[in-house]
Amino acid sequence: MLSIKNLHASVEGKEILKGINLEIKAGEVHAIMGPNGSGKSTLSQVLAGNDAFEVTEGEVTLNGDNLLDLETEERAREGIFLAFQYPVEIPGVSNLQFLRTAVNAMRKHKGEDEMNAAEFMKLAKEVSKQVDLDPAFLKRGVNEGFSGGEKKRNEIMQALLLQPKLAILDETDSGLDIDALKVVSDGVNALRSEDRAILMVTHYQRLLNHIVPDYVHVLAGGKIIKSGGRELALELEEKGYGWLGIKDDDTSN
Amino acid sequence: MKSVPMLSSAFLHPAGETLPEPLLALRKERASALVDMPLPTRKTENWKYSSKYLKLADDMAISLPAEGKTGNSLAVPGYKVVFINGVMIPEASEYPDLDGIQITSFSDLDSDKAKALAAKLGSTLNHDQAQFARLNGARFEDGLFIRLKPGAVLDQPLFIIHETNADASGSAYPRIFVESGANSQLTLVEEYISSGDAQVLVNTVTEFSLADGANVTSIRLNMEGENVQHIGATGVLQQRSSRFESHCVGFGGPLRRHDLQVRLEGEGAETKLNGVVVTQGKQHYDNHTSIDHVAAHCNSEETYRNIAADQSHAVFNGRIHIHQDAQKSNADMNNKNLLLSNGAEIDTKPELEIYADDVKCAHGATIGQLDETSVFYLVSRGIGRRQANVLLTMAFINELVQQIPVEAVRETAQARLSDFFEQTFQEA
Repeated sequence: MLSIKNLHASVEGKEILKGINLEIKAGEVHAIMGPNGSGKSTLSQVLAGNDAFEVTEGEVTLNGDNLLDLETEERAREGIFLAFQYPVEIPGVSNLQFLRTAVNAMRKHKGEDEMNAAEFMKLAKEVSKQVDLDPAFLKRGVNEGFSGGEKKRNEIMQALLLQPKLAILDETDSGLDIDALKVVSDGVNALRSEDRAILMVTHYQRLLNHIVPDYVHVLAGGKIIKSGGRELALELEEKGYGWLGIKDDDTSN
Repeated sequence: MKSVPMLSSAFLHPAGETLPEPLLALRKERASALVDMPLPTRKTENWKYSSKYLKLADDMAISLPAEGKTGNSLAVPGYKVVFINGVMIPEASEYPDLDGIQITSFSDLDSDKAKALAAKLGSTLNHDQAQFARLNGARFEDGLFIRLKPGAVLDQPLFIIHETNADASGSAYPRIFVESGANSQLTLVEEYISSGDAQVLVNTVTEFSLADGANVTSIRLNMEGENVQHIGATGVLQQRSSRFESHCVGFGGPLRRHDLQVRLEGEGAETKLNGVVVTQGKQHYDNHTSIDHVAAHCNSEETYRNIAADQSHAVFNGRIHIHQDAQKSNADMNNKNLLLSNGAEIDTKPELEIYADDVKCAHGATIGQLDETSVFYLVSRGIGRRQANVLLTMAFINELVQQIPVEAVRETAQARLSDFFEQTFQEA
């Protein structure tokens, strides 16, 4: 499904990704772990199409099509979804309006009829229940005044509504208490399917207790330095990043 | 020394003799005072950002004839009065004959009532700050007089459609005077629209006089064409415990100027002023507001938002004057601005004069751009960039649009604003 070959990317002239290679097939769940500053978030942002990052070398294809040629919105319509580490607050645009506009943009792209307000309201209420968000949140501004956990649940709600081919979860566990982590994980597990892939980016392995990955990769200094099965995450948990000769100074991301 | 430009004498000749004698006399008197009226220049403080947009040609002095088709206006869910080129068109108007409520064109007033009105006309305005209200005073051909007796309540909004029919160059001078008796209630919607494409000037004055406990809501939609220079003034006088609420939505043009002056003369009076302005292309819009806290224990709350795209220019000047005896005044003024391009300009200026020592007076102004992080968030969900820009721009003013109390007006405003932004972001 997703194929990344020798991907280099920089921000403000500073190279962050220094040759990433990764193959993800439909139905698989991959976890990318690494210390702060290793380039995890950069990889997520580059895949989603954030202009702030410049791809200097390499290629990324989604089901054989060149992803890097597509605008951000086109990538989303082709099935890339990024759950943000820091979801943006947008007062003045209601969550409901935002979600419906996004869902209808997707439906239009697929040649389906757009959903009217009543139809969408029904769907949105069901999905909000699934992530344990009070439907009252639908009327509020996008993420406006949401707690950290509510924002993350809102991200997963969007993924459930948009039904992406590849869901990228950027530090989705950060800032969550144990109950919220359970709700979010259940939501992500509900996304798992044979024709969908999930890429989780995380510093800690605790999320992986709830969403069990098929593959784990360690990212350090802009490169994947080790790949393995889920046991790799446990080993990292036990021995720390130092075990792989990586400094985890926890000072940046 | 360079000579100061003067208002051309062509503008001193009013048309229309249908007014009752006391109003004709008043008009004549005001016209004679206009001889040698200097036109504002960039050195005129309250016109410094806008004088360059004022382009009065002599052929614009001609009074536009009160004729032409009507029908561009929004579907009206309440009562309506239609004016074409400043003159009331009775056959296009529909309003009830309600107990305690008088809605009459100036021309239809009897001599006594006209005399009483002549004594009040202009009394709500400081003409030194709204110079062009003088021109209206010398040129109005007709007008609408609304009088609510104490306790009278107009059960539905009254729409006043001011249509300018610009088939030829000229000018129109719409005038409204509202006298709202004690504890009366009224919602008035003024809609300014135009047809035709000749260069015209629309010079309006609307006055509200609120007696004790009166409650008036004023909504003003400015949606005239690119050929219309609009200079309007609204004056509000508030007595004890009265409440005034204003919602202005303005779309830019070659020259758009609105002066809104409120005087809180009775204790416990409250006023709330909301304004939204959008400009694009080479458009202009200038709002000058002024709130005088004359009496103690009054509240004022003012929120204006400007959005300027392309090479357009928006101006906000908010003056608050708290007089010496106006203790326990509470005044809050807020102006936020959104620049959508590097070529756009917004000038904002708070002017606070406080002469009482026990008051709360807050003001704030910001100028910003669309937030790229928010744009990225929306487009990462498959929403097109143009639509994302429109959503975020609407979001900037949504809070104010949502407060417009008449649903039909709110929806019209929302739809027109949305169309406006679709056009703004066409290139993006």
